[in-house]
Amino acid sequence: MCDFQPKLVAWLDNELPENQAAEVERHVQACEQCRTERDRYEQVSKTFDAYCDAVMSAKTHPNVLRWVPAVSGALLALAATVLLFTWQRPRIDPRPAVTPRAAAAPIQALAAESVLSAEPVAPKKIHRRQAILPVQEQVQQPPAKWQPPDTAVQITIPAETMFAPGAIPEGMNFVAELSIGPDGSVERLRLRP
Amino acid sequence: MSDDSVPLALPFLRFADSSSEVTALYRELRKPLLRYLVCLGLSSDEAQDVVQDSFVSLQRHMAVGGTQDNIRGWLFRVAHNQARNRQTSYHRRFADPLDSEMDFVAADATPEKAILEKEKFRRLRAAVGLLAESERECLLLRAGGLRYREIGDVLGLATSTVADTVERAIKKLAEKCNV
Repeated sequence: MCDFQPKLVAWLDNELPENQAAEVERHVQACEQCRTERDRYEQVSKTFDAYCDAVMSAKTHPNVLRWVPAVSGALLALAATVLLFTWQRPRIDPRPAVTPRAAAAPIQALAAESVLSAEPVAPKKIHRRQAILPVQEQVQQPPAKWQPPDTAVQITIPAETMFAPGAIPEGMNFVAELSIGPDGSVERLRLRP
Repeated sequence: MSDDSVPLALPFLRFADSSSEVTALYRELRKPLLRYLVCLGLSSDEAQDVVQDSFVSLQRHMAVGGTQDNIRGWLFRVAHNQARNRQTSYHRRFADPLDSEMDFVAADATPEKAILEKEKFRRLRAAVGLLAESERECLLLRAGGLRYREIGDVLGLATSTVADTVERAIKKLAEKCNV
């Protein structure tokens, strides 16, 4: 071990008297071992300094950026959930509405007529929910705003709701097409499977 | 709270002559003092309180005509003693002063740099944990920019003892960290 090594740290810290500092400096220029040690001490001092800075930074400035993605993601998910439960798609029914009373009577009359006809009736599979939905929506329409349409009204009603069990083949449905006059009466009605 | 945004709320406006000197010292020494206290083991809030109290004491000290020789050492000594008074419990007193579970790496560091930094700090933290308390305090005060004489004033040690302690601590860290 070189005799100057115990003075290297004090020399790096400028704590040696001038004459000793000059002596150490001359020696370090000539001694490779002391130069290596000097570099190590300098590196350790810098690392320790950076470490203290990092400790202070971590304690006094919490890293909020680390939470930004998580917080923003949670907020987006919350907003999407709120939208999902609060936003209702506006219901637009392209078919004009008819009152239940106006629709029911002709349907029953023409349904009986159709059953008695000799034309073969092909079974048509209609989803039960789709078939019933128009009638349910018509109940919700306010009668005061109802306007008689110009075009024919098409209503799909499951056959089992109109006929006794066994009267027609199972699964058969009918579509009633009707026109309603200005006074609300049915002008033309046609029932087809 | 930002480092530079903390106002110096000293309730001694009647000592207008010394307050400008204290304000200048505050601007110069607040950050090193805060860093020393935080690294000593105080929380950020505690360290802020100690810094504030220390500068209030400095204001009083200068207002009554106290000595201004080695004022940096005086200020660090006051802060050091206040910090030690706050660390009364055994656990806090002897707990690792440099937090071991905190994420020290800068947010803008690349992944490779972050890994290297973490590893470097991990080794250094382990090495610092092996130092004697006086060695650790000497290194912290030295990192705060204090001279050996000032460190001696703070810790009540002779300057030559401080020189030996610092040299011993640096050598230990260099050996343990494999720098």
